Amino acid sequence: MYEKNPLSPHLQIYKWQISSLLSITHRIVGVVNIAAITLISFFVIFLMCGEQYYGMVNTFLQSFFGKFIMVGLSWSFSFHVLNELRHLLWDIGFGYDLKTSRITGAITIVGSFVLAIVIFLIGKNFI
Amino acid sequence: MNHATKKWIVLKISSIALIPLMLWTITSLVSVYDQGYSSVVNFFTSVPNACLFSSFLIFAYLFFAITISEIFEDYIHNEKLKNLATRAFYLFAIIVPVITILSIYKLN
Repeated sequence: MYEKNPLSPHLQIYKWQISSLLSITHRIVGVVNIAAITLISFFVIFLMCGEQYYGMVNTFLQSFFGKFIMVGLSWSFSFHVLNELRHLLWDIGFGYDLKTSRITGAITIVGSFVLAIVIFLIGKNFI
Repeated sequence: MNHATKKWIVLKISSIALIPLMLWTITSLVSVYDQGYSSVVNFFTSVPNACLFSSFLIFAYLFFAITISEIFEDYIHNEKLKNLATRAFYLFAIIVPVITILSIYKLN
């Protein structure tokens, strides 16, 4: 009986709204981010192989796909940071009411794109 | 203090630490990802960057080990499989950052 109980978060039952959209996106982005951090770790380990093996990786990173991945990562990191801030605000008791929750949700979505652009511009031009 | 409370506190501490570390990491990676081998190695081996990146890895894997185990909790029905997946991910979250951090210090 217990084995047949449905598991949360019942995606197929609830009507989609900004809170559920952000909740499931936060989980998916979290999984994407840990996969990306693992790839970055492997990249750092790969640097130990020396310069002669780096050319192929460098060619890929300089290509359109390399840039696309970095832009995507800038967004996924930005989204995770902003939604995590939203969770921390909830933890101190702010933003539980429906209206504030919707507003902070919208700020998270729009803000993640703005922050990703800012990160990319700072990274490319000011560091 | 019970186990769940300790887990929640560790999660929140790692979450707070990760906010500036994630922003620093991604901005720095954007600045070096398409550079040559020596620039990338110089970036990872400079002492402040090595310390910040190592801290980032420790907190990131700590944070994700806890949160991914919650995802397993929500989606994996079979108790044995859930425990196995959680333990395997915990092991992975220890091994990968340790090897990466050692690699950074070996690169020096």
